[in-house]
Amino acid sequence: MSISWIRVFSLAVLLLTSLGVSADNMIMARVSLRAELVIEYLNSSVEEHGYTIAHTQLCDGGMTDFGYKSDLYRVVFFGKIDEVRTISEHYPELVSYLPLKIAVIAEKDETLLTVLNPEALAPYFADQTLQIQFGRWRSDLISIFDDVRRSIAERIARTD
Amino acid sequence: MRLPRFLLSGPILALMLIGGSTHAAPDGGELYTEHCGACHQMEGQGGIGLPLLNEKLADVSDDYLRKTIRLGRPGRVMPGFMRISDAQVDAIIRFLRQQSGTKAMTFSEEPIVGDVVNGKSVYMEHCTKCHGADGSGEGKGTGVTLSRERSFLVMPASICNPGFLASAPDQMIQRVVSVGRKSSGMPAFGRGKLTESEINDVVAYVRSFEKRKRAQEKLDPEERPTHVYESPYDFDTTVENVKASLTGANFRIFPDRLLEQGLIDEFSVNTRQIGVRFCNFNVLYGMLKVEPRLGVVLPCRITIMEREGGQVILVVPNLRVVSRWFNNDELIGLWDRMEETFTEIIDEVTL
Repeated sequence: MSISWIRVFSLAVLLLTSLGVSADNMIMARVSLRAELVIEYLNSSVEEHGYTIAHTQLCDGGMTDFGYKSDLYRVVFFGKIDEVRTISEHYPELVSYLPLKIAVIAEKDETLLTVLNPEALAPYFADQTLQIQFGRWRSDLISIFDDVRRSIAERIARTD
Repeated sequence: MRLPRFLLSGPILALMLIGGSTHAAPDGGELYTEHCGACHQMEGQGGIGLPLLNEKLADVSDDYLRKTIRLGRPGRVMPGFMRISDAQVDAIIRFLRQQSGTKAMTFSEEPIVGDVVNGKSVYMEHCTKCHGADGSGEGKGTGVTLSRERSFLVMPASICNPGFLASAPDQMIQRVVSVGRKSSGMPAFGRGKLTESEINDVVAYVRSFEKRKRAQEKLDPEERPTHVYESPYDFDTTVENVKASLTGANFRIFPDRLLEQGLIDEFSVNTRQIGVRFCNFNVLYGMLKVEPRLGVVLPCRITIMEREGGQVILVVPNLRVVSRWFNNDELIGLWDRMEETFTEIIDEVTL
């Protein structure tokens, strides 16, 4: 295939796939399970998607002292070293948003998972490589949340 | 008409076939699961989001649903879905209609004339228990229970919310007040409890909430999601300067964290990319009450990186841009002020 054909092909793929994208600034999932257990499912799903958990930040220390009803608020940081290196080298402006992070918010026996949709950054960057990267992250995040929901639904079905 | 020959070549033909599936009608059920299920629950029974059951849907127009999806409820947990296509919004509405077996109501856009002063008096007597004196529902906050006591099974609607007021015509508000909402515990006031004139007065009073909201300041299109500054100092001096400046501004500094830390073994980590993480807990917890999902952009961090040739840069998130991702006017006000503090810190560091 000649170079010009590869260009036409790549451009066409990009156009077709980008038209199918739907997104907003937050991606959320709610599951009926205590947050401590949800984090285990979340970590497992994140790793199954090829990411490494960098660390988990505990944000709930002292929260009840300020009148909060939740006793658990964590942020799970994760990423792929190759992606982080590529971005820090070529797009340093983006490092503030890396590694990726998911907030885990306890609400009694339920848990809210929230993550910034990486495509919120898309309007600021014309670079097609980045557009594809944002889309891939978004797709992975939705898939991670779907997996967590599915695994927890199966767990609940087993125990019922 | 004959197609140009290149369109019939293998790769393009394959793409046209892929395109066929890519452009199939959007699946409303999938979109609902992705965007709505977290708050309205998978069966539409409601929770943080209002119930989307037959009773509610039978009382609203598709136009109301369309505007609600697009505008959200600024300051509450319901986002404004501005980037999904019209076809996708319509697919969600079709899905809701199919699932609930309801047909859309239509309402005239004709305003209802009523006495605002009397409406306030009637409202205070009958509506404040659930909707609050200011119409905000159960007090301030986004509707996520983390930020406040949740004493209702279903969150009462925030009827002073600009998203609600822009979506609901007067005639719809009048109908809901008249027939009530059994599923969320709202009584029907039109069955002998209030006269038609009193209901109209309440509608006029609810509409008057519209005037109390300040217009959101438009963001300069040149604004970027981060600020990148060059430091006149070497890497280590810049890191120390950042910490000293943050301490001077009453921030607590967390232990250093390298950008790549935890993603690769400790011997391979780039030690010339560091995130200085910091927090003022009083400010943070106040902000979490306004927007509990802030964790997705926390903690506050200034990243310092040494580039090839020894150039040192500082990368700082632009809070004016970030705050606008939350569809929350109160947060925008707070973070616009915080952004000024960040700018002062960076000015001090790079002097």
